[in-house]
Amino acid sequence: MIPEDLRYTAEHEWVAGDGSGPVRVGITHFAQDALGDIVYVQLPDEGATVQAGESFGEVESTKSVSEIYAPLTGTVVARNEQLTDTPEVINTDPYGSGWLVEIAPSDASAVAGLLTADAYRELTES
Amino acid sequence: MTDPTQVTGETPEPPADALRRSPLHERHAALGAKFAAFGGWSMPLEYAGGGVLREHTAVRTGVGVFDVSHLGKARVTGPGAADFVNACLSNDLGRIGPGRAQYTLCCDEVTGGVLDDIIAYLHGPEHVFLIPNAANTAEVVRRLRAAAPAGITVTDEHEAYAVLAVQGPRSAELLGTLGLPTGHGYMSFSTAELGLSTAGAATPDGDLVSLVVCRTGYTGEHGYELVVPAEAATTVWDALLAAGEPYGIRACGLGARDTLRTEMGYPLHGQDLSPEITPVQARAGWAVGWDKPAFWGRDALLAEKAAGPRRTLWGLLALDRGIPRPGMTVLAADGTPVGTVTSGTFSPTRKAGIALALLDSAAGLGQDDEVEVDVRGRRAAMRIVRPPFVQPSVK
Repeated sequence: MIPEDLRYTAEHEWVAGDGSGPVRVGITHFAQDALGDIVYVQLPDEGATVQAGESFGEVESTKSVSEIYAPLTGTVVARNEQLTDTPEVINTDPYGSGWLVEIAPSDASAVAGLLTADAYRELTES
Repeated sequence: MTDPTQVTGETPEPPADALRRSPLHERHAALGAKFAAFGGWSMPLEYAGGGVLREHTAVRTGVGVFDVSHLGKARVTGPGAADFVNACLSNDLGRIGPGRAQYTLCCDEVTGGVLDDIIAYLHGPEHVFLIPNAANTAEVVRRLRAAAPAGITVTDEHEAYAVLAVQGPRSAELLGTLGLPTGHGYMSFSTAELGLSTAGAATPDGDLVSLVVCRTGYTGEHGYELVVPAEAATTVWDALLAAGEPYGIRACGLGARDTLRTEMGYPLHGQDLSPEITPVQARAGWAVGWDKPAFWGRDALLAEKAAGPRRTLWGLLALDRGIPRPGMTVLAADGTPVGTVTSGTFSPTRKAGIALALLDSAAGLGQDDEVEVDVRGRRAAMRIVRPPFVQPSVK
């Protein structure tokens, strides 16, 4: 449940892409499982700038709410509009159709500073 | 992502070894339950393969079974036991006969604030069985004991029984296949025996399981609550899940119980009822025997009723995608604070945020007025409504 080809944050976000172009961002299987049935997602508008480590949205389940943190600094170039009507795809397909936003990083090398799958696995299993 | 913040009102999880456990704890663990602390007990919040939405839907459309063994159990016996209880608790036991149960309140003698809401099972004039909330059982027992005259005994039997709530439109069929009685009227109960042949497993003493079946619940659906001796809890649980398979039964956690009861506008003690909230404010006056000569809090409550409460419990229905949560501030159109959300969640049936909220009488708000709720800094529009949010089918 931790794809090898993604990068991760300690706050349970995943990042797809090497940073040379926009990267796709979502929350991990571990995160969706901890939340339970997700019923509402709040995401930044396209064109918004986000700061690494700062909150850029919220994911809310029937019983809990979590802020989502930007894994890197950049500009939001796309957001998953499907989540407005079917936020539950985050539960069923967190690494696929449950993606949240795409961010054009201001520093392409920022992706390399994120956790590897091995490091994230160690974090969630400890 | 931050660690998910529980927003449904359960207390933060203390060390697991500080919590009491249901006799069904191992069964829940085997079903992959996530546990949370409720009133000092570690109870299932939701189950693997289920989740709040599926479990909620099972109860609205089929049948679900909840372990609510954390609920308290106390017995009042002796000559005049029913009269004694009737002079303490709010509702009028004179309105029901033996074999009926009643929703009632334990109010503070001085303030009229609600110390607990309770189901009272009237067995007879000398025997009343009480189901208080887990966290309040010791205090309710303490107050009853302190007030009890000689000859009346108040026994705390909290861990002696498990309580299983079988809820949903197919609950009667399910219990019927186990040979249990199902024809009782709403809020009636009877003692029954679950035979070995139907239970499919021997009880510890190789005997019939004797249990109480009551037509009660807290979901708004047709349903039953089974009060089962703790040592027979696993036998009855297993029998229910096995017999319920053709009906698509789901084990349901307290997460779904919260969304189900909130859709009905049923109060949860500690949120919508509390020592700071009176039945007059919470619109629970229907559970008060106003004509009784005595019950705890009578003077304060009669005075408040006559003067009009300073705040009243209403329902809020979200008009956009905001989900109200307990403790959030309710604002009038001009931004003035006019109240506080006491319970709030996402309604799986209405597909919208719903809440119960105490609104200040001075604000002059009423049904169909629009207010806003401060949802973590965002203003979410809500309409004031009278619960239930979903039409109940308890009868």
